Amino acid sequence: MILLASSSQDDLSRWEQGVRGLAPIFCSTTLDSVRGELVRIKPQILLLDHDLPKLDGPNGISGLMKLNPETKVIILGRIISDEIEWSLFRTGIRGCCRGDIEPDHLKNVVGAVQQGELWIRRALSWHLLNELVMITQEKNKIKQAVSDLLANLTRREYEIATLVGNGESNKQIARRLAITERTVKAHLTEVFRKLDVADRLKLALIVQGSMTPHDPTRIGHQQSAPHFGP
Amino acid sequence: MQMVTVAIADTDPGRREKLEQSLQSEQDITVLTNVMSEMSSKRRLKLRTDITEIEDVIARIGRLKPRILFVNLDESTGGIALLEALHREYPDTLVVLLTDKSVKEEEILQALANGARGCMDHEAAPSYFLKAVRVVDRGEIWVTRKMLGKIMDKVLH
Repeated sequence: MILLASSSQDDLSRWEQGVRGLAPIFCSTTLDSVRGELVRIKPQILLLDHDLPKLDGPNGISGLMKLNPETKVIILGRIISDEIEWSLFRTGIRGCCRGDIEPDHLKNVVGAVQQGELWIRRALSWHLLNELVMITQEKNKIKQAVSDLLANLTRREYEIATLVGNGESNKQIARRLAITERTVKAHLTEVFRKLDVADRLKLALIVQGSMTPHDPTRIGHQQSAPHFGP
Repeated sequence: MQMVTVAIADTDPGRREKLEQSLQSEQDITVLTNVMSEMSSKRRLKLRTDITEIEDVIARIGRLKPRILFVNLDESTGGIALLEALHREYPDTLVVLLTDKSVKEEEILQALANGARGCMDHEAAPSYFLKAVRVVDRGEIWVTRKMLGKIMDKVLH
């Protein structure tokens, strides 16, 4: 289902012409009605007029999207500045275009968004990539820090930490390594001290986070295995 | 007219030459043709890429300083590690990934996350390569809308 929302009857009828045949169409002319319909009919697509009264920009749109996170939102408006348009995309909208768009063109936009594509101007899309690069760098930094910490462990300590990461109990670990439970505990005390963690749950999270999941793809992230201390 | 320098790192000489030729005819594009010569000869000796080999490639790219570098990411060009190092050491060189049908979406995403500014099928029409060079040169990116959707999913979740 597709929900069209604008206070302008002209816009609504033009948009309707564009998306006719793609899915059943519903219309709203007020913000309250949009809210109600999002919950009631759970539309796949919402075409939303940026100038809908009381909508209140990115904040308001973000609030609307929480009502049904599955709905893909496309904003239509007059001239929207690059800055505002980018902040709209940051809220999670999937497309943005001019409100006076030709019906045929609108059909392409909706079709693309239905397929999971993002309808964003080329001049803005580099923001998106920069953000991805920044997030990746942060993640790599954290991974590096964790692997530096793990590198302080002895081989035996690392082995036991990994088993804790797999959710094994001290008893299971003792049996597997053919050592006493007491020795396992002693090693773990040392591991907790070196990694500055208080319990095995946190340890498990650290160990799991440091392991690269089995990567089926060819150019997997190559992370060097932690080298062991003496 | 501002000149754009372009280099192509692809271990397949046929593909490389085809692309070089289609770019060479443009007046505002200079194609640097020797970015791969050392690499390919080395490759005959051993197939595995090691750290020093990646350093070699990077040093070479650092000397040539192309504005746009087309890279075919396979084992012999060093994969993600090469992209990461390039992005760190020569951020002014903008990398565009050359792909074929066998490259998975997830690999492309990972390359983009590590600094590549675009990606295109090596079988694309020459006019697309010219357009990609100009778009990427002015700071924009060259990826499909579908890929943009995936990038957004990654950024928001």
